[in-house]
Amino acid sequence: MAPAILLIAGLVLYPVLYSMWLSLHAKHAYLPIQRFIGFENFKFFLLEDEEFWRALKLGSIFTFGSLTLQIVIGIGAALVLNETFVGRGFVRAVTLFPYMLPTIVVVILMRWIFNDSYGIAKYLIQSSGLTQTPIVWFSSGMVMITLIMVSTWTFFPFVVIGTLSRLQTIDPELYAAAKVDGAGIFRRFYHITLPQLRSVIFVVVLLRFMFMFTKFDLVWLFAGAGGVGYFVRTLPIYTYLKTFGEMQVGAGAALSTMMFVMLGVFAFAYFTFFRREEHL
Amino acid sequence: MEDGAQEGDWVVRAAVYGAAIMLVIICGFPLLWMLLTSIKPDREILSLVPTFWTDSPHLHAYERLFTKTKFLTYFRNSIFVAGCTTILTITVGSLAAYGLTRFRFRGKEFIAAILLLTYMFAPIMIVVPFYIMMRTAGLSNSLFGLILAYTAFSLPFCLWLLRSFFQSIPIDLEEQAMVDGATRPQAVLFVVMPLALPGIIAVSIFTFIVAWNDYLFARVLIGLDDLKTLPLGLQDLYESSTLDWGMIMAAGVMITIPSLLFFLFVQRYLIAGWGAGGVKG
Repeated sequence: MAPAILLIAGLVLYPVLYSMWLSLHAKHAYLPIQRFIGFENFKFFLLEDEEFWRALKLGSIFTFGSLTLQIVIGIGAALVLNETFVGRGFVRAVTLFPYMLPTIVVVILMRWIFNDSYGIAKYLIQSSGLTQTPIVWFSSGMVMITLIMVSTWTFFPFVVIGTLSRLQTIDPELYAAAKVDGAGIFRRFYHITLPQLRSVIFVVVLLRFMFMFTKFDLVWLFAGAGGVGYFVRTLPIYTYLKTFGEMQVGAGAALSTMMFVMLGVFAFAYFTFFRREEHL
Repeated sequence: MEDGAQEGDWVVRAAVYGAAIMLVIICGFPLLWMLLTSIKPDREILSLVPTFWTDSPHLHAYERLFTKTKFLTYFRNSIFVAGCTTILTITVGSLAAYGLTRFRFRGKEFIAAILLLTYMFAPIMIVVPFYIMMRTAGLSNSLFGLILAYTAFSLPFCLWLLRSFFQSIPIDLEEQAMVDGATRPQAVLFVVMPLALPGIIAVSIFTFIVAWNDYLFARVLIGLDDLKTLPLGLQDLYESSTLDWGMIMAAGVMITIPSLLFFLFVQRYLIAGWGAGGVKG
């Protein structure tokens, strides 16, 4: 009991508070330089640093793009997987598995599939006749779209798991009754399924938003620090670069703190908005 | 939904099958492609017209992986770190979850709330202070530091899950055992733990996967080649070699196998567990 509380306090809560403390300092990553500078780090990022705003913008594009696709495809897939058909168990297993795949495997695999010369994606698109000019997946203009597609591929099963577990608890009687009343498939979906899914979608959207907004490893491994990585330099990547690239721990801690605050504000706004909508 | 003589039912059936086939292709094909690439000869890998099967499958890529790189060292490190993290998390987590559900004390609700709050702490947000702390404690470049980091990161969620499992076990059972002369540790070990086993298995797998998949903490805390875990090792392999795609894919397959085994094991409980356990909704 006590050891667990101590561990959590020592290893999770303390670092967060320590991070906020560090954010008020100019501190080098390994040289013994530490100086109290108040809110200078925050002032710098918010008022002077264009890179910060750029990272926030790119991060938002990545987060909302990927989140939207994950939710739409995830709910669609869950509806399909909730139907009865031959081989359902197998299809479910195959659909959920990408979520379990280690990020590094997702990255090397997708880099191979989307390879400029030998990638199967290039071959399939060209032989299907969709376009003759090859798509360069890792170019400055395309990399964000490629990244959003890949992140959707590996994370949408999370939405499927949540939605499917809820779908399975809906009373089949409701559908039977609606059928008797002559409601078609779309009306049944709109009037029975959707209202029942509301609460689970609420939670899934919130969690996925927080996970995507703070996603580091996939983005970093996928595009790297320099080169094309510059075009997907989201806030987590920027934080890493400031801390471990430029060795400015205080600045990195300030970025972490700001991400934390942004998540908090988002969660608060989200809850407030949702509650209000619920009363309508 | 049972089939009735509903108008347009066969259209729906066809759509369901079509969508199911799409899902299998989109989710399954990349994995199959990885496996296929790992057993193809090089001339087929580096060909502008990919082959969807190979007549001469071989394991040379795996041989190169095991003999020419330190893959097996990385593999051992990963197993060690993920295994120790799981044991540590389960031990501490079960004790704490038991305490949280069985004893009354002040601040109990507060602790539960804090557990949920930690959901908001993504790795990138705690890695900065963690790095400084570990360096101060002399635990950088040590697998023990890595184990601590993963335990800290997975413990709150595990504790939250285990708590709901322990709550569902009636307290009468252990009281009965204690009336019959068992001590509390005995009652916990022989009565409560077996009943909590499904929850403990679920949490073990979650923890193992967190440690097995992590890249960020390992990158920041580990610098020595001999201490690298698989994600680090594979990234460095990928970036240093003149791309030997066959070998890289072979490494991908090897790293995926433990995840796949775990997945097959829990798959059945995954969907049911979601509703019952951690993420309420």
